[in-house]
Amino acid sequence: MKLQWLAGLLAGALCTAAAGAATRCEVERKIVFAGLDWESNAFHTAVAQRIVRDGFGCAVDTLPGATIPLLNGLARGEIQVVMEVWMSNPPPSWAEGVAAGKLVEVGTNFPDATQGWYVPRYLVEGQGAPAAGLKSVADLPRFKALFADPEEPTKGRFLNCPAGWQCEVFNGKKLAAYGLAGSYTDFRPGTGAALDAAVVSALTRKRPVLFYYWGPTWLLGHWGQDLVQLDEPAYDAAVWKAMSEAKDAKDVKTATAYPTVRVVIGARKDFLDSAPQLHRFLQQYRTSAQLVSEALAYMRQNTASADDAARRFLKMHEALWTQWVPGEVADRVKSKL
Amino acid sequence: MNPLFPDWGAPLRDAGNAFVQWLVRDFGDGFEGFANGLLGVLVAIEQLLRGAPPWAVLLATALLGYAASRRWAFAAACTAGVWFIGALGQWDQAMQTLALVLVSVAVSLLLALPLGVGCAFAPRLRRAVMPLLDLMQTIPSFVYLIPAAMLFGLGKVPAILATVIYAAPPLVRLTDLGIRLVGADATEAARAFGATRWQLLRKVQLPLSLPTILQGLNQTTMMALAMVVVASMIGARGVGETVLVGLQRNDPGTGLVGGLVIVTLAIVLDRMLQSAGARLARRSAAG
Repeated sequence: MKLQWLAGLLAGALCTAAAGAATRCEVERKIVFAGLDWESNAFHTAVAQRIVRDGFGCAVDTLPGATIPLLNGLARGEIQVVMEVWMSNPPPSWAEGVAAGKLVEVGTNFPDATQGWYVPRYLVEGQGAPAAGLKSVADLPRFKALFADPEEPTKGRFLNCPAGWQCEVFNGKKLAAYGLAGSYTDFRPGTGAALDAAVVSALTRKRPVLFYYWGPTWLLGHWGQDLVQLDEPAYDAAVWKAMSEAKDAKDVKTATAYPTVRVVIGARKDFLDSAPQLHRFLQQYRTSAQLVSEALAYMRQNTASADDAARRFLKMHEALWTQWVPGEVADRVKSKL
Repeated sequence: MNPLFPDWGAPLRDAGNAFVQWLVRDFGDGFEGFANGLLGVLVAIEQLLRGAPPWAVLLATALLGYAASRRWAFAAACTAGVWFIGALGQWDQAMQTLALVLVSVAVSLLLALPLGVGCAFAPRLRRAVMPLLDLMQTIPSFVYLIPAAMLFGLGKVPAILATVIYAAPPLVRLTDLGIRLVGADATEAARAFGATRWQLLRKVQLPLSLPTILQGLNQTTMMALAMVVVASMIGARGVGETVLVGLQRNDPGTGLVGGLVIVTLAIVLDRMLQSAGARLARRSAAG
């Protein structure tokens, strides 16, 4: 896998040199993307890099790491572009960089990242469904026996977010606000991999499971049709704010659904100023949670790399991405697919 | 791909995935039934420890400390250690972790002791088992933890499984070693008196190798404690979760508190087992 990637990079560099006369990159230096450690970012980075490398003739690179160090790197200038900044909980270095005028929100990558509580469709629909009538979080107490927690059999098990994530705190408060603290355990799976394992195992065996999940993810791309999101009171900014600020889950009396989160592309201002064409491309870059989930499900099912998924995306959704760039740039990208 | 190498990685990967999926689909319910049995034992111990008033646990620590060493100062030091955990505000989590460690060590003992004895008597079995022990100690635990979580459900049972896989090997090795180190003079003398093989093992070899076996038990306990953070990554509650949350929220202070609790538990358990082992060694040397 790594070898292929290296070969691809090398071939890209050679082609860039050969086509140098026709396509001159606007910047001399390599453009470094943030290789944030989750799959949807890997996919977007691969799509953008193909366009920037093949279409605009620039050298590209990726610096892998976790959110906080990479956004610090963006602020320091070691990285030029971040394909995903989640506006629900941007790290402090992003907010400081934007306030100081060093970092810029270039455009919206996808506007509809979602979070919610899910149950499998086979539990609630069809003849003799064991949880027929389960539509919203308010119905959950009636079905606690169905979701029984083997470690505490008198209660149901709610699979929360991995321990330590922001959503884990929110879900804990929601359990209290929806009056579920007495009938459900707040089960924290520890890591994303463990949560995936529990959910996939239950879905494969058609067993009951109640869990928190978020999109775009491969899991929602792959299993989305088989899942039902439970209704929650509609998002209300004031209730949300009160809920966020409460120190103790017990004090939270009302809660609302998660807001839809906008995920934006971030870049350094000095980089954008030196490359107006790339700036315009990043401004136009726009996808949707659905598209991303599909690409991630493809990656997971075929054990494909992010670059494979990017190539497939560029082939399948030509009408979409050719709007982001001038015609001759699009032609050059297509010739390398 | 280099033509020197055949491509075995991809078929192995696909076969592994297919195998896990087949296990989950066709046998998942059976595995979960077994898991719930083991879970019953663990939950009972955990409820006993968590439900007991802290003074009772402190008293039990003092008595055990005295029983292990016959020194009151030692018993007081052990009790102070456990009290310190409560003072750090991690009492409940520590009791959960302790229950997990006790059950893991008990399961390890049940599996490792007979296996160690078997290895001591059958060199062929030992040759087969040793590479397996190496594998158990070195394979990254997440490789089998995620499939285990799919089969046994999240939480305590896969945590015990992972802990046993990681912590049992030293007990097997040291049981094997301890029995083989029992001097030929002792075994010959017993044989000369007409001891059967079973009598030889039970009356001579096991008692004489007890200090070494206790060393193994000590190692197993320490390694079981080292696994609690990994266990928390698949949803086992306890001190490991405190550390994990500290790491994931970029909150080193919380991580430090959790780390100190694990270290304190380790020191208390280690010293108790050490002094019990030393007393036994003295007694077997005297007798």
